[in-house]
Amino acid sequence: MSIISVRNVNKSFGKVCAVCDLSFEVEEGTCFGLLGPNGAGKTTMMKMIYGRSSRGAGDGGMIRVFDYDPARDELAIKYLSGVVPQENNLDDELNVIQNLMIYSKFYGLPGSVARERIKGLLDFLELSEKARARIRELSGGMQRRLVIARALLNNPRLLILDEPTTGLDPQVRHLIWDKLRRLKAQGTTILLTTHYMDEAFQICDTVLIMDKGRRLLQDDPRSLLRENIEAYVLEVPIANGTPQIHEADLPAGVRLDRADGTLRFYAEQIDLLKSVVERLSGKQYYIRQSTLEDVFLKATGRALNEKQ
Amino acid sequence: MRNSSRMAYPSLSQRLFSVWYRHMRVYTKNLLSNGLPPFLEPLLFLMGVGLGLGKRVMGTMDGMPYIDFLGTGLLVTAAMFTAAYECTFGTFIRLEFEKVYDGMLAAPITVHDLIVGEIIWAGTKGLFFTFAVLCVLMAFGIIELPAGLLTPLVGFLTGMMFATLSLWVTSFVKTINHFNFYLTGIISPMFFFSGVVFPVSDLPSYVRFVAEIVPLTHAVRLSRAVCASDYTPALLLSVAYIVLFTAIFGAMAIRRLRRRLVS
Repeated sequence: MSIISVRNVNKSFGKVCAVCDLSFEVEEGTCFGLLGPNGAGKTTMMKMIYGRSSRGAGDGGMIRVFDYDPARDELAIKYLSGVVPQENNLDDELNVIQNLMIYSKFYGLPGSVARERIKGLLDFLELSEKARARIRELSGGMQRRLVIARALLNNPRLLILDEPTTGLDPQVRHLIWDKLRRLKAQGTTILLTTHYMDEAFQICDTVLIMDKGRRLLQDDPRSLLRENIEAYVLEVPIANGTPQIHEADLPAGVRLDRADGTLRFYAEQIDLLKSVVERLSGKQYYIRQSTLEDVFLKATGRALNEKQ
Repeated sequence: MRNSSRMAYPSLSQRLFSVWYRHMRVYTKNLLSNGLPPFLEPLLFLMGVGLGLGKRVMGTMDGMPYIDFLGTGLLVTAAMFTAAYECTFGTFIRLEFEKVYDGMLAAPITVHDLIVGEIIWAGTKGLFFTFAVLCVLMAFGIIELPAGLLTPLVGFLTGMMFATLSLWVTSFVKTINHFNFYLTGIISPMFFFSGVVFPVSDLPSYVRFVAEIVPLTHAVRLSRAVCASDYTPALLLSVAYIVLFTAIFGAMAIRRLRRRLVS
């Protein structure tokens, strides 16, 4: 069953098309990732889903969340969902428990239910020791976990996260991914935006790569990798004495991508890349498996846009 | 589409309460620094201006000793100032710097709930600030009891009225310094020309109509009438003014802030 249904949605800011003719479905109990560079329209798309941004005038398309239209029934949608906005926006004056108590009122939870649930959530996000700490005493990772706990107060069936782990250290990122996987296993549907390819690969069942408001690719992460990029990459930093290599001289099945400062050779078989290495006459090189990041850069291009 | 009658989410009163509750908890967190000045300010003001200057002001103003005249006016100016600051600087900081509204609007409340909750909260602060002035006036023995005990309700209405005006102003403001134009250009002058420090009838006739237009004049009239238990039919005009002003500016503020909060 589809929890979120987005069909031919459009949204412009002035003449700039923030979201152009975008369609996708998010199935119950899955994790759906919106990937794209800054300014791709991820956050705008996400805000339209919980009614924080309006669809374009005229032919804005159609959005249904739990069968509700966010333009009309934002309250019903937000009651069933938890939202983790891009910025933490906690109340600095209050401590951890008080921050959560304030939000329990928004869901109309009775005090005893709220206290019980807060205890469980602090435990789940490994914040129990900080229950009485002030917000300023919390690290960035703790604040982020607290915002996630806040979004989980009403046992949401849909969890919406805007860049959940941006700026956090690897330990915290892995902890958050682990928690998200556990929520998914319990049946929670997850929609997230990210520009970390490893994040999408770790937790998403479906990834939609978008740029300039449009969909470029959509599939499960492994298929995206298999079908859109060669299996291996040879990276060669360009230095003095790096031999001139022309595409025409390369063996069949090797693709060359010239970026500033680095040559990248892509191929399905590692042996083909080794044959390229032999021509490098001992220069520094690095062979690795290709990642979703390579797919992303191939799809969205290496050049920076005006928002990056 | 689902049948809308089956939708589950908290009622309007619960949603407004939750916005109010958030502000109340944050405000009362620093009880001493937030709770003491409302009492100190009128105390110092009445001691400095009222007792010092008042002794030199011979006779009465509008039939009462000067200190009584000033005191009954201060009851509502305290509500005006606190609501004006709350819904300019306070609202702007929540909107632009702390991004508090981004979090709140992720919960099941609408922009409408958020702004109306904000107005009710400013009214509550007005009630509290008027109550603080009332305590000082009682200590000086310059207010009639029990009639004066009703003035915090006037403070509530005054707070809500200035909240709507201030929120509407805030909806235009792009940088926080612009509030100085509003606070020193509109709110402060109202203090001097709305019958708080001298009667409106003393103003030259060609500026008197301005005093009749601005909101504080009507709040002051209501406050003085409540203190003296002197209810005249003309007072209905001031009550109607306050209700209409709050409704009109409230609606305009919601409309404009909605555009700012929902892109």
